[in-house]
Amino acid sequence: MTNTLHRQGTHESLSRDYVIFVTVAKGINHEGAGSKMQRFLRLAWEEGPVNIGTDKKNLITAGGDVEKMIAGITHKSHPTAVFDNPEAIRRLVRKLKQEDLGISVTISGLTDEVDEILRSEGIVRHSIEHSIGILGRTERLPTRQILELSSMCGHGCVSHNHVRKMIDWTKMAKLTPKQAATYLARPCSCGAFNIARAEALLTNAIEMA
Amino acid sequence: MLIDRNKCVGCGNCIPICTMGAISVVKGRSQVNQDECVECNTCYRTLRSEGKNPHWVRGWRWLLRQFHLVYDAPPDVCPTGALTPPKLEWPRSLRSDFSDPTTTHKSTGGGGRGTEEIKTNDVTGRLPRGKIGFAVELGRPGLGTRFSDMQIVAMALAKAGVYFEPNNPVTYLMTDTKTGMLRPEILNEKVMSAIIECRCDAAQVPEVLATLKRVAGEVKTVITAGIAARCDPDDSVAYLEAARAAGFTLSLNGKTNLGLGRPHFEERQQAA
Repeated sequence: MTNTLHRQGTHESLSRDYVIFVTVAKGINHEGAGSKMQRFLRLAWEEGPVNIGTDKKNLITAGGDVEKMIAGITHKSHPTAVFDNPEAIRRLVRKLKQEDLGISVTISGLTDEVDEILRSEGIVRHSIEHSIGILGRTERLPTRQILELSSMCGHGCVSHNHVRKMIDWTKMAKLTPKQAATYLARPCSCGAFNIARAEALLTNAIEMA
Repeated sequence: MLIDRNKCVGCGNCIPICTMGAISVVKGRSQVNQDECVECNTCYRTLRSEGKNPHWVRGWRWLLRQFHLVYDAPPDVCPTGALTPPKLEWPRSLRSDFSDPTTTHKSTGGGGRGTEEIKTNDVTGRLPRGKIGFAVELGRPGLGTRFSDMQIVAMALAKAGVYFEPNNPVTYLMTDTKTGMLRPEILNEKVMSAIIECRCDAAQVPEVLATLKRVAGEVKTVITAGIAARCDPDDSVAYLEAARAAGFTLSLNGKTNLGLGRPHFEERQQAA
């Protein structure tokens, strides 16, 4: 999947947007991986993520019941945690290295920042993927302001019109930026939507109005 | 998606939630443009049913209108539970397979729209040094794509000499991986997005990138593409120069596999 690869934004905005997840290779190291993935999400939760996801539930749709989310993890799960600061990622990477869970860990975020974190923790990155951008009928796309919010759901479940509505409702003071960000996070079932960054972007939208 | 006209009260909450803009209110009831709907079920999953009686809700809405008042329901509810996911037959079932992230592809047995790509490369060794991976996604962000456009891109990439990832759900739909042609009955099906995954030798990267640039002008949607590689021992990345030389600006953000998976591919090779 490329679901966290094409998040849009400036360097400053993306510096508050890191997604970390673990994946097992079916047929190679999936046996017994459920408990390791549970451990991953527990370690991640200790570092104060702004959203987490597993088994088609995110922090919002799971009603904030993190223990239930962790308990439901099996080797088929894709636990994900989102952070709005690189220092939390640094601490989590340190813990993951120490615990040596033996499952593949991927971080999606500013590559220079992630590389610096890994070097400082004595890790040489294994593989890397960049986006080469958006090609084709780009004239059909909405504004950058909308894309910065909608692209935080990599599966495209946060629609451009939903973002427009939430921007409008925050500008009209029908919702606070935090409330609107939480509504935007609901459709993103894998939990990769960064609620804190969305709140900041919606606050900016009000200030620009 | 279907909307039960007997239950719908025309509140319009489902309209902005729809990822494809396929829902509109006609004569006081929401209806779905079935040709544009990609069966992602986002509306059904996102809008909680309040289970209210439609007659009662319509009555209240009518009464409020008499006083020039409107009640805005919370943005995440369908007051009467009017949204009804249909049972889908082939080939329409592909729409849900590719668009609803909570479903499992019948072809690959996997979730999502692609494969693990580099996320388990430390264990699988799927993308060794000297090879460059591409994840070419059509329809994203927010426009959707028909498989006819997928075929145009797949055929162009096939001509450029790429190797299509066998476990990718789009590859499963090809009648011939040498040409990139897809099954004819699926070409008009629309999905939220779909990903062609392929790889090539590092020396082929300029040709593949030039192909992507050219073919992007032939499709009716947008293409977001990712480029991936195993890092070299000195931490350098094989494709950076080629991508820049081809006129692409690489993203500031990206995905990094930390190499913490076990057993490492090399260890497995040695053991074998």
